[in-house]
Amino acid sequence: MLDNLTIEKTSKLLSEKQVSALEITNNYLKKIKDSNKLNCFITVSDEKAIDAAKQTDKRISNNEKIGLLDGVPLAYKDLFCTDGILTTASSKILSNFIPTYESTVTANCKNQGVVVLGKLNCDEFAMGSTNKTSFYGPVINPWKSIGNDEDLVPGGSSGGSAAAVAADLCVASLGTDTGGSIRQPASFTGLVGLKPTYGRVSRWGTVAFASSLDQAGPISKTVEDAAILLETISGHDNKDSTSSLKENELFYSNLNSSVKNLKIGVPKEYMSDDLPEEIQKFWNEGKKILTENGAELVEISLPSTNIALPAYYIIAPAEASSNLSRYDGVKYGLRVKEKSLIEMYESTRSEGFGDEVKRRIMIGTYVLSSGYYDAYYIKAQKIRSIIKNDFDNVFKNVDAIFTPATPNTAFPINREEVDPVQNYLNDIFTVPANLAGLPAISIPFGLDNSGLPIGMQLITNSFEEQTLLNISKNLQDTINFSNQPTQWWA
Amino acid sequence: MEFDKNSTLKLAKLARLSLNDEQLNSLEKDLTSIVSFIDQLKEINTDKIDPTSNSLNQDLILREDIAENSLSNEDLLKNVPESELGFFVVPKVLE
Repeated sequence: MLDNLTIEKTSKLLSEKQVSALEITNNYLKKIKDSNKLNCFITVSDEKAIDAAKQTDKRISNNEKIGLLDGVPLAYKDLFCTDGILTTASSKILSNFIPTYESTVTANCKNQGVVVLGKLNCDEFAMGSTNKTSFYGPVINPWKSIGNDEDLVPGGSSGGSAAAVAADLCVASLGTDTGGSIRQPASFTGLVGLKPTYGRVSRWGTVAFASSLDQAGPISKTVEDAAILLETISGHDNKDSTSSLKENELFYSNLNSSVKNLKIGVPKEYMSDDLPEEIQKFWNEGKKILTENGAELVEISLPSTNIALPAYYIIAPAEASSNLSRYDGVKYGLRVKEKSLIEMYESTRSEGFGDEVKRRIMIGTYVLSSGYYDAYYIKAQKIRSIIKNDFDNVFKNVDAIFTPATPNTAFPINREEVDPVQNYLNDIFTVPANLAGLPAISIPFGLDNSGLPIGMQLITNSFEEQTLLNISKNLQDTINFSNQPTQWWA
Repeated sequence: MEFDKNSTLKLAKLARLSLNDEQLNSLEKDLTSIVSFIDQLKEINTDKIDPTSNSLNQDLILREDIAENSLSNEDLLKNVPESELGFFVVPKVLE
C-alpha cells in the first residue's frame, strides 16, 4: 500500500485515515537509506521531514481540511534554496552553504504542508545532461539494459530528481530546466517531466544558471501529479522581475483528456535518419493514437531548428558566466585563503568549480568579452527572435507540437568521453522550447529493445499548459505505461 | 578561432580562474571546438532582426524602493567565510 505512491493516492490514503503521514514518511526514509548505490540524495532532511509529517497528522486528527499535497513526501533538486537545509547546486563552491531563506517555489510547497525528504543530486550548477558533472559523484539510473549490469546515466541535469522518483524514493520531485534538464532525465527514467512557460514559475531563491531560460518544474509518475505540482509552484512573485502577471490556473481540477478537434503539428525538421528506429516507432505510434482519439495531425515546419543549439550554447554560457561571478569567496561558500584579493578569487573559483562549469564560464566570458558581445550574444538573441517567430507562426495553425523528447535512451556512465559539442547534441529536441520560452512536457511511451524507457515531447504555445496537460493525459491513459525498474539497488 | 595557450590564459584571467597546464591544454581544444560550433551562426543574416532578451512578452516589473525587514545582519553573516564586527572580511586591498 505504501509503495509507488502518487500524490493523488497519498492524499486519498491520508484523508481517509488509512495510514498516517508519519508512516508514509518513515517508509520513504527507509527506502532512501537503502538506496545509497543510486547516489540520488546529497542531503536527507529526515528530522524536518518527520516534524512536517507529524504536523500533517495533527491537522488530520483535528479534522482540519487538508490540501492535496499536505503530508506528501517530495524531494527537491539541490538548486532550490531551502531555509536551514544545505543547498549545494552539486558544487564544491557551495558545499557548506545553508540558506537562511526559502526559494519561492519550495515556500509554495511548504505552505501546502509538503514533507521534504531532502535535496537531490544534479549536474554542477545544472550544467550537463548526464549528472556526471556533480561534485558529489554521478547519479545511477535505476533502469538497466536487459541482461547487462552496466550502470547507466539518469540524464541531467535533474538526474537525481528523476532517478529518485523512478526508484520510488519520493512521491514526486522538483527539478529545473534550462535546455532540457527536466524533460531529458524524465525521458531516461520513464517519468513525466514538465517545463513551464518562462515566467510562469518564480526563479527567486533558485540558484541561477541562465536567467533568461531557467524554469522550475515537476518530475512525477503521472500527468495528474504534474498538474497538481504546477498549480502549486506557479504564480506571480514580485521578487522575480520576469515573473508573469497572469492569473494562476487550476490545472488539476480543469484536467480533461479530450484531444477531439485539436490540431497537433509534427515538425518535419525533427525527422532524421539518425533517429534510432525504436524512438521513431513510438513517435509513429503516438501520432496514430492522437489521430484515433480525434486529433488532427498536421505536418509543420520549424525552419530554424538547426540554429537553436548553437544559439543556446552562446546564451546559456554567457548568462552563466555572469551569474557565477558572484562565487568569489567573499560572502558565502568556499574560500581559499590567499594573500591578495585577486588571488583569493582565482584560487577559490579554481578549486570550487568543476571542469564543465569552468568550460562554460570560459565560453561565456569569451562571447561577452569586449569586441565579441555583438557578434555572439546579441547575434544569439536575434536568432532567438527567429526561433520564437517560427513557433509563433506554427501556433497560428496548431494547438500543440509532438516530437521525441531525446535523440537517444539512457547510455552507460562509463561511455568513452566525447567531445563537449557531441554531448551538447543530447539537448537537440528540448532546447528550442527554452529559447522560445514555451511550456513542454516529456511523457513515457514505452521501452526500447534493451528495456529502457523512451519519452515523447509535447510543446504548446506560451501559457497553454492546460492544453499540454490535457493532451498528455490522453496519451497517458491510452498508452498505460506501467513499467518500473527492477529493484537491484536495495 | 583557434585557441592557443595565450588566448586561453587571457580568457582565464578575465574569468578569474587560475588553470594548470593540463587544464589549459584541454580547454584550448574544447574552446576551439565549441567556438567553431557556435560560429555557424555567422552565416545567418540577422541585420533586420531585433534581439529577444527573454521570451516573456511583458515589461520588466519594478517595485518601489522601500526599506523592509528581510534578512538580518546575523542571517547575512551566517555563511560568511570570515567576518569581523558584523562586516565581511577580505584580504587587504590597499597597503
